[in-house]
Formats: sequence, structure tokens, C-alpha cells
Amino acid sequence: MGLALLLGCRRQNESLSYLTITYEVSPQPPRVGQTSITVDLTDVSGKPLTGAEVTLEGNMSHAGMLPVTAAATEVSPGRYQAIMELSMAGDWNITAHVKSANGLNLERQFDIKGVANH
Amino acid sequence: MECADLSALCSRAERACVHQVLPSNRTSKDHSSFDLLRVPVLGRFLSLRHARTLLQIPLFILSVTMILHGLFGPQLAPKNLATTYTWVHFRGALVFVLLFAGNFFCLACPFMLVRNLARKFFRPVRNWPRRLRNKWLSIGLFVTMLFVYEWFDLWASPWWTAWLIVTYFAGALVIDSVFKHATFCKFVCPIGQFNFVASTASPLEVTVRDHDVCDRCQTKDCIRGVRSPAAPLVVIQRGCELALFQPHKVGNIDCTFCLDCVQACPYDNVGILSRLPTAELTHDPLRSGLGFLSKRKDLAALTIVFSFGALLNAFGMVSPVYAFERWLASLFRVNYELPVLAFIFGLFLVCEPVVLIGLAAWLSRTWAGSDRSLLSMAARYSYSLAPIGFGIWLAHYGFHFLTGLYTLLPVTQAALADLGWALLGQPHWSVAGLTPSVVKLFEIGFITLGLMGSLLVSYAIAATEEVKHPVRAFIPWAVLSLIVTGAALWLMFQPMEMRGVAFA
Repeated sequence: MGLALLLGCRRQNESLSYLTITYEVSPQPPRVGQTSITVDLTDVSGKPLTGAEVTLEGNMSHAGMLPVTAAATEVSPGRYQAIMELSMAGDWNITAHVKSANGLNLERQFDIKGVANH
Repeated sequence: MECADLSALCSRAERACVHQVLPSNRTSKDHSSFDLLRVPVLGRFLSLRHARTLLQIPLFILSVTMILHGLFGPQLAPKNLATTYTWVHFRGALVFVLLFAGNFFCLACPFMLVRNLARKFFRPVRNWPRRLRNKWLSIGLFVTMLFVYEWFDLWASPWWTAWLIVTYFAGALVIDSVFKHATFCKFVCPIGQFNFVASTASPLEVTVRDHDVCDRCQTKDCIRGVRSPAAPLVVIQRGCELALFQPHKVGNIDCTFCLDCVQACPYDNVGILSRLPTAELTHDPLRSGLGFLSKRKDLAALTIVFSFGALLNAFGMVSPVYAFERWLASLFRVNYELPVLAFIFGLFLVCEPVVLIGLAAWLSRTWAGSDRSLLSMAARYSYSLAPIGFGIWLAHYGFHFLTGLYTLLPVTQAALADLGWALLGQPHWSVAGLTPSVVKLFEIGFITLGLMGSLLVSYAIAATEEVKHPVRAFIPWAVLSLIVTGAALWLMFQPMEMRGVAFA
């Protein structure tokens, strides 16, 4: 079982690894509550990735807590925006789950540090 | 009793006491006391010779799984078995089992499974060094554990959590392969020391059923072990490896519930009996394997670290403490965590207890007209902090356990799905556990229960002391318990903030 865990933990969905992702968080500094997260997806030539399904998943650093998810909408070519409820102060890890129009998958993680209480 | 064996585990004072006629500190056990070993099915199971092994095996498999997932699985704490099982479910289950039963986690300890296996190949021949036959090393390791937990953010790191588990296995294996008896359990294991102090509040105790039977016993198998008739030096069933001679054992300190004494007793005279929680702290008879509590400065220090450590461990989860850390960092002109953390630990685990306990001891001694030395007063009454300390640990670990209870399932589902074995279906991340507002009521209850325990214990100690004014002896310790309780309740009502923010 241990060997199976070792071999089986690599994900098979990194086929869009040539994509770059940049992100913006509003408000700044980030606060507990509704937060706007905007991600820009571009390929290696700088062309925006349009028509993708983008879901953002937020996780806290302590185990035993549920992830927060939000579906992003494409507000302009390659630019996707979601409103996420950050329920606690501290550091958040955001995972962007991207499924392109031709069915390829990508995951990218970034951090939102220092979310403060009001 | 074989002095050579016993001396390996006991200090000089304890060994001297063993050879005296020990005063009878025993009470005839009420034959109507609940005895877990007499409960159908469960009692029968626990009485089996290999019950401990049968409990250890699944926990060992679970531990290996946690280690592997911690090292090779997703490095997000909420998504990893190592962090979820350790910091949410293991810690929570541990304190609840201690509260409602006893030290059964030590009974099922997987570290001892590996050690027992190793001892089939490596027979330890050394005795633990005499100077280390006390709790000071384990106190240092306990404090180190708390420090490393904060410094490396262990709760957030599957990788480091996995290495922590590996370290425990390695420590138990190395130490108990070199040194005889249950050296790791009695003198080293930080989790064990936590369990020993906390189990003073447990409702069950491994103890003698009928002392009259022990009086007639000539072989003392409960501590010497069962010897082969053909070869008396060959032990075919271990006796107590922690030097707790059952007829003179008092309470749960140093008892790992291993049940070796149950297996060894030729008269089936050892049971797991019910008792009044914390009562063992209210009197100070000579205890087998321990001596007098009031003379054990190391045990008193362990209780203090246990109690004040409970507050400290919960400190880092609230916003005001992060502001304090940032202020200290600017004061010390540092931008890394180590010196700030070291200062906080020194302040709250050394300075604060010294000041508060010293003051309480001085007031108690002076006001009540006690003949005890200040240090002896402080040592004796320090044990009264164990219940409130346990209440705070219950509140903290209970919070994470109850609010994250159901995450056990989606984390396990995800781990199996990663292997391509969707045996439990796809992860369903919809409900974590009880809502924090409901859990807060439990927290208040645990802390209140702890406070009541501490007040009762400190009053009982004062009442049994030979002082002119026992109430005056009690009051300073009651105030101390109230201060600790107040701090705990204040912490509970602060806004939570995930750790590591100050130096994020």
C-alpha cells in the first residue's frame, strides 16, 4: 500500500504546464469576508486562454477546515474573476483549477498572505 | 523484589523507600466499583494476552500511511492524512479518551509495537543512567515539541508532521533497544508525559482488586514478571516495566495501561477500576515507582509545564498574540521568528509560572502559618493546576476535533482516489464538523470543569495539610486557578487567526 501511495500520488493533469497565471486580489490589504480574485491566463506566446472553466479553491493552513470554492467568470479574454468568501484571518492558499475549452486540465497554486480581521 | 531490576527505574530515594516497610496507603477497593475488565466482550478482549498487540497493529498501519502521505501526498494540511489525522483527530481523540476513560492511547501505542519486535532480536543490557531517572529530560523534550510545533508550523506541514512521527518511532526503537524496561515511556516520551499528567483526571485506573490477595502473594509477579519454572531467570510474561508495584501503586502517573500486570498476576487480582478523577492529587502517600509527589520537583515542574503550556499552545491562534509578536519583533529589531518565539516561551513557561506560583506559595505559606519550605509548598500545590491545564487542552484540542471531525472522510476519500481506488467515493467537502458557536459551549464547559477540579484539589490539599488555617492556604491557589481560567476564557473569545501570519 505504501508503494502504491508513492506511485499514485502524482497527478495526471499537468498537460497545460506551458500556461502562465497571474493574479490580483481586491481589496488590498486583503480582509476577512468577500474578496475579489482575478486571474489572467496566457500561453507561452502571451496569448490569452479563452473559454476555460476556472474554479478557485481556497484552503487554510490548519487541517480540519473545509475548502472554500468559487467559480470564476471570464470578464475579458483570458481574464477570469471570482468572488471568494475568506472566512478567517491569516494566510490562504488558493488553487486555480483550469479546464481549457479543448478539455485539458491545469492546477496552479498561489498564496494570499496576511488576510486581516476588520 | 529484584533490586537490580527495580534500581534501573527508580531514583535512590525511591529505592530506599522500597526496602522499608511501606506504610499502607491502600484503601480496600469497593467490590462494587466498575471494573472494565469485567465488562462482557470488551473486558474479555482487554484481558487477552495479545490485546495490546491487536490494538497496536492498526495504529501502526495508520502511522505508516500517515508518514507516507505526509512525505509524498499533497502538501496542503487540510488535504493530507498526516496533518489531518495528527493535529485534528489524534489530538482530539486522545484528550477525550483521557477524559472519559484513561491512558488507553499508551496501551495502543504503535511505537511500542516496533520496540517489542526489535527486542526479539536485540536484548537491551544497559540501565538508564541514574542521573536521568527523572522527568527533566522529558520536560525538555515536551517544551521542545511545543516550540518546534510553533517554529516549524507543524500543523500546516504534512512533510514535517511525517518526520515528527518518524522521529518518535526512531526514538522509541533506539532507546528501548539499548536500555532495559520501559525507559522511553517513563523518562523520554513527551506524549507519554502529557498522558501521565492528564490521566490524573481520568475516571479509570489500573489497580488491585483486593489487597488481601496481594498480602498473601509470595511471587510478586505483577512487577517481577512470570518466571519459567524450569529457568527462573527467564521471564515468560513481563511485569510492570515502569516500576509500579501494584499493591503500592497510587494513581495513573507513569502508568501506560500496558496491562502487563494484569497478564502477570497469578490471581487475576488486577483490574481497570473506576475512581474519582483527580483524587490521586489530593493526598501524598508514598507511591510505588514515584515516591512522594511533594518531593518530586521534576513531576511538579512537569505539571506546571503541562498547565501553562496549555495556554501557550493556544496563544498563537488569536489576533492579539500576533500583534504582540510583531511588537516584540520591532522591539528586538528582528525579522525572523526564533528570538521572538524563544522570548515568548521564556516569558510564559518560565517567568510567568515562577512569579505566579512563587507568589501563591509565599502567600499560602505565610498566611496559613505553614512549616513547609517555599519550594515544598510550591511543589505540593502545583499539582492542583493539572485539572485546569487539562481543561484548557480539552478546550483547544476539542475545538479542532469537533469542528473538523468529519474531514476525516473527504481526506481519506481523496487519498484513496489519488491511488485510483475510489472505494469510498469521491471526496465530499461539504461539512467539516460541528459549528464553532456550538463547540464554544463545550470549550467553556471543559475549562469550567478544569477550574472546579483545580479548586477541589487545592482545597483538599490544604485541608490535609497540617496548617492552622487551611482556608488561607487554599485561597492563593484558588486565585491562581481563577487567573489561569480567566486567561483561557479570554483566549477563547479572541478572533481566530491562522498561525504564521506575523512572519508571513
